[in-house]
Parts: sequence; structure tokens; C-alpha cells
Amino acid sequence: MPQVGDLRAKMSSLLEALDKWLCRPITVMEVCGTHTVSIFRSGIRTMLPEGVRLLSGPGCPVCVTDQAEVDAMVRLAKGPGVVLATYGDMVRVPGSCGSLAEARASGAEVAVVSSAIQALALAGSIQDKEIVFAGIGFETTAPATAVLLREARSKNVKNLSVLSLHKLVPPVLRLLASDPMLNIDGFLLPGHVSTIIGTAPYAFLAEEYGKACAVAGFEPLDIMAGIVEIARQICEGRPAVRRLYGRVVRHEGNVKAQELLEEVFRPASVRWRGIGLVEASGLVLANDYSDFDAYSRFGITLEEVSPPAGCRCGDVLAGRITPPECPLFGRSCTPQFPVGPCMVSSEGSCSAYYRYSSKGVSPWGA
Amino acid sequence: MGRLSLGHGSGGRLTNDLIKEIASTFARGSGMLEFEDCALLPGGWGVTIDGFTVSPLSFPGGDIGKLAICGSVNDLAVRGVRPLWLAMSLLAEEGLDEEELFVYMRSAASVCAELGVQLVAGDTKVLPRGEADRLYITTCAMGKNEAISPWGIKEVSPGDAIIVSGPVGRHGAVIASLRYDIKLRELESDCAPLWPLIEPLTRLRGVHAARDCTRGGLGTVLCEWAEGANVGIEIDEEAIPADGDVSAVSDILGFDPLYLACEGTAVFAIASERAETVLETLCSHPIGRSAAVIGKATEAHPGLVGLRTAAGGMRVVDMQGGELLPRIC
Amino acid sequence: MCLAVPHRVVKIMDENRALVSTGGVELEVRTDLIEDLQVGDVVLVHAGFVIEKYNEDEGKELESLWEEVMQFASGR
Repeated sequence: MPQVGDLRAKMSSLLEALDKWLCRPITVMEVCGTHTVSIFRSGIRTMLPEGVRLLSGPGCPVCVTDQAEVDAMVRLAKGPGVVLATYGDMVRVPGSCGSLAEARASGAEVAVVSSAIQALALAGSIQDKEIVFAGIGFETTAPATAVLLREARSKNVKNLSVLSLHKLVPPVLRLLASDPMLNIDGFLLPGHVSTIIGTAPYAFLAEEYGKACAVAGFEPLDIMAGIVEIARQICEGRPAVRRLYGRVVRHEGNVKAQELLEEVFRPASVRWRGIGLVEASGLVLANDYSDFDAYSRFGITLEEVSPPAGCRCGDVLAGRITPPECPLFGRSCTPQFPVGPCMVSSEGSCSAYYRYSSKGVSPWGA
Repeated sequence: MGRLSLGHGSGGRLTNDLIKEIASTFARGSGMLEFEDCALLPGGWGVTIDGFTVSPLSFPGGDIGKLAICGSVNDLAVRGVRPLWLAMSLLAEEGLDEEELFVYMRSAASVCAELGVQLVAGDTKVLPRGEADRLYITTCAMGKNEAISPWGIKEVSPGDAIIVSGPVGRHGAVIASLRYDIKLRELESDCAPLWPLIEPLTRLRGVHAARDCTRGGLGTVLCEWAEGANVGIEIDEEAIPADGDVSAVSDILGFDPLYLACEGTAVFAIASERAETVLETLCSHPIGRSAAVIGKATEAHPGLVGLRTAAGGMRVVDMQGGELLPRIC
Repeated sequence: MCLAVPHRVVKIMDENRALVSTGGVELEVRTDLIEDLQVGDVVLVHAGFVIEKYNEDEGKELESLWEEVMQFASGR
């Protein structure tokens, strides 16, 4: 890592290059919620020139979890003899009848884990309860759930099941690239999802849709370099998918993880909050693992639930509006009292705008 | 009104709002409405009360006994009040090992002896098994105000230097590591009494405010100052004393060290012309040797705290939102 | 969506667990998603799993972008 003094100097150099290569105003979508947060936390928005419009996309797995799925989790947690285990990110997301945190306050058993495999230990130590692991996250996180399932099966664990809420990134990118209202020129692609899937799944963005793309890491230098690369591709009229995070992203990705995903899951069309049904964009348990599927074990059906009145998370997630443009933003919807998941998720666009740019009216821009 | 959530106890905005609601239930004229770390009473006395529920009861750098004393006497120290007397209440769960209880009591007694604080009143209750999580301690500390000028939120003024006494987030990082199975080789809680560090400052002019950065961390304190004093605050990420292990734990769990609790680290607002003297005084004490100026209060953007990032941009620092939860995203 | 941190492998515990460290902080992680892990390897850890090994040689595209940026910056 460069010394901090070097960091500011290097960022300046990148900004100079950006100035040179910005031939016209461009709109860049950063898809990954972790990119959203890194961009805000590093203050990059306050450093970008006027001509770069940075949109946050639906790469926040918590934000795109459908209301019906949140409700299913909360109902499960409230069920007698069930311990719902999930990542901390999910605990405060409001469902139609409250969040997991509120369910816990009323006596439901909710266990926060920092790794999927901890659910297995829970099942071992709490033999008289059913442990349900709610797996959220994209391709980076789904392999961990796959390992959990494979090990649970090899150990013949009876009191564990998985509610898979995992989603896939490339299908929703296609939807966004083909949306004429969005006018996206380029995509800053998720560095860690790419660690698993490689770069081939994104090729269509450049080849079919002419979008400039860069697979970037998460340090400020990585992100700024990605934006510079996108600007240059646009300026030179040569859209491509450039792999700028080669230190952990191989062109073919992590083949072992991919094979595991194929063994344990199968793709299905699932609903993304605010976006609707996206073809082949979710992961459900493969037939061989159906006995661990919490949906069938608990007879869960997902009804169509409308989001709370006025909530525009869907439009925020799809980049159609910025958070401050939502009428609820900063008024009835705040991090303390969130209406929609974009505000409660640590990676949600609304949460980031609220916390890091003072409700979108930061004196320093952004 | 709904049910209390863990967020209400985390030290951020929800906690503050709850405290305001509770305080407003009582008659006006009570010291609580100042929302400072301790109340200053007529006659120059200071008093404070705090409850301690740390889990696990013992951690690298301390235990609940040490924490229970330090927490309260530090709330006095940051208003320039010399801690003199202590009242303590124990709520213990049936089945708690007596020997273990006395390990904690000896830790507590040791801090009191070091400071010359006398335990003058106490109470013990034992609850049936399952009705308390092993041991809760509440301490009420009282002492004499020795600051030569008033220390408090309202004194924070544009131009003041903001000084931090040491690396932030050590206690919070240690507790989180224990909770989420991260092994620490060296990192310890910064749990320590602040009076020895702060006492020399009581004789200096230009000290406007001091706080210990407990629940909610440094970020929350600065937000409370900005809002309470109606000033802007600007700090530089490069200047904040940091501990590499705290950063590592924070990166793993997705936390921000600005919001991790400290239990022996203080932040000060000092008149700019006196900053150097205060800094030298702090640095000459063992627990203040990494003290540094991290920024200043300004007239610009009152109520907002801005951070100049390591990358050279600016971002707003808001108050810690609710329960601090580890994240994978 | 993917908080992941680099660590150095300090001990291979068994076929699917390793101890990794970053400075004075150590973590037990699962290694099911990776092959041929050695002590000393620098790895990327996400949600308790090693998801990839760091490979400095593969940083070529970023390097070449940097070279162009630096040439441009120093030429001013």
C-alpha cells in the first residue's frame, strides 16, 4: 500500500488523466454496494469533475431482497423452535411486520454470524432447535453457503436448512445496459464478484451494448483508476471489459468456487426489489440438496407484497433517481427509522448519501 | 413508541433520543438536561452514574470491575472533576462463581486505590439463574470540580483545536474480536482511568471541553459537539491516531474505527492558542503519548462534522446509527 | 456487496482450515474454495472463506494504465 502522502499525490495524477480523457459528460454506474460505500467513504465524489455522473446500481444484496423474502425471514424467526441465522447486514431491514431486530426484541431467536459455516456450529450446539441460515449476497458469498450445505449433508445434520436469497450480477447488468432511460456509458464492475466469476460473463456489455467497463478493486486508487479507464474507453470509442484488479481477479475466475456453485445451486428467475422479476438471476438449491431447502421444509410461499407507500428504493436501485430525489429521503426515511432497505443497509445508496454527504447536501458536493 | 432495541443502547442517535425522552419526563431544573457526561451540582460537586454490562466479563486489558470504575470516574474527569467517592450496585446471576466475582472486585478496588477514590456505599442483589447475564455493575461516582474555567459542550468554539489522546477504537475492537472469534496477539482494551492524564489540564486556561469516547466512539462525540455547540468540525483522517490491529479488525468485520468504543481515550476542544501546551502536557503522560491534533472547530457548516479522507476528498461524519453489526457487504 | 480483506497464511490447520493473519490479528478461515495453499501466501478473505490468492504478476493491466497516467502527469 502506498504511503498516505503518496496516495493524495497519486489521486491527483489520476484526476489529471481523467480531465484529459473526459471528452464529454459521461454516466458511470458502479454496481457493487461495497464500491458505493468505498466511494463515499474515500470522498471520491467530492473530487470528481462535473462531467462525471456516478450512479449507484443494485449491487447491494440486502437492498434488492424482495419485501416478501424479508417477511418470510421474519416469520420464520418468530416461529417456535427456530433460530434464524444470517449476516449482520440483514438484521435491521424493515419488513411488512418489522425487521429481524424487532422480532428479536419480541423474543424471536436471531443469530448474527460473520461466516456461513458458523450456522453449522449452531446446529451442533442447539440440537433441540431448527437452525435456518438465510444466505444473502452475490457470487462472492454464495460459495460459502454452498460449502455449508455440502458439509451439512456429509455430516447428516438434521436440524439445519438454508433459505437461499443469493442473486447473480450479470443478468441484472443486462437489464440495466438495455434500459434506454438510464443512458449508462460505462460500468465500474464488482471486483470481488469477479474474483469468483472471472471477466467473461461481462463481455456482452462491451460487445453487445457498447458499454465501457472496468473491473476494479476497492481502494480509492483502484476506483479512481477504474473511472479513468472508463472515460478513456469512451473518449477513444473502444468499449471493452478491462481487468484492473488482476491481483485477485483471474480472467477465468475461481473455477473451484464456480463448480461448487453449480453442484449445490441452480439458477432461477427471482424478484429483485424495485426491479421485478429478472430471468435466471437467483440461486435456488439444486435437487440433490432439496432436503436442506428451508422453503420446502417450512412450506414457505412468497406472496407478492407491495413496498411501503412512497418508497422509491426500486428507482434508486435502478439508478433512475438519486436518493435525495425520493420524497421520503431524510424525512420519514432515515437510518434510525428506515422505510426501505436502501436506507438501512450499510451499503444502501440512501444510507450512504445520508451518512456521508449529510442527507445529500454535503457542503463539499456529492 | 415501540419496543426497545439493541440500537437504543448502542450510544448513537437512538440512545440520545431515548435519554432526551426520559429526561423530559422529569421536572425541569435537573442537571441531566445538560446532556454532559456528568452533572455539575451547586457547591462545585460533580456526580455521574453508569451501568456496565460488558460481555465477556474479562477481556485483554481489563475486566468488568476495572471498566465499572474507569467508566464513571472518567465521566467526572472529562469535566475537570476529581473523583473522590463511589457507590456501587451489583446485580449478579445465581451461580456466579464467588472467586470470579472477587477477581473483578479486586480489579475495581485497584483502580480506586490508584486514584484515591473511596467506596462509600454499595448494594448487592442476586437474581435467579437466567434472569441476568452473569453480572451487571452500576457505579455512581462523585467528586470536586477543579477546572479553573467551565468545561462543556457549550464552550466549544470556532477555531478550537480538536485533540485526541490516543489511538481510537481499541476497546470496541477487542470486544468485537472476542465476540466474532478473531484472535488478538497484542491488542488490548485502552480501559484506563483518565484523571491522571487530565488533572494537569484543570489548571490550564483554554480547555473548552473534553469527552471520553465510549459507546458510539469518537465520531459520535464530535457529532454531539457540532450539534450541541452549533459549530462545524473538520478533521483529517491522516491525523487521527490509529492502531493497526484496530484497523485490521474493523476491516474484517466492516466496522468504522470512528464509531468503536474507547474506555481510556479522550477528545478535547482547546482554544487554538493553547493547543500546543495542552498537547505537550498530554504527550508527557504514558497514556497520552500518541496524542495528536486531528482538526478544528469552524464557523462553516455548523452542526456538521467533515472528514478529509486519506485519498484527499471530503465526507461527512454522521452519528453512529444503531447497533453496530458486522457486515459481509 | 463484498467486503474482503487480504491476509497472510500463517498455518495450514487441516484440509479445509487455515490460520491467517494481518499484523497482530489472526483469524481461522475456511479454505474449501482454494487449491494448493501454502504458508506465506497472501489471500483474500470474505465472510470467513479464502476466495482467492493474491497474484502480483497478474496486475499488468492496472500497471500499464498507471504507466500512462504517470507519463502524462510527469510530462506536464
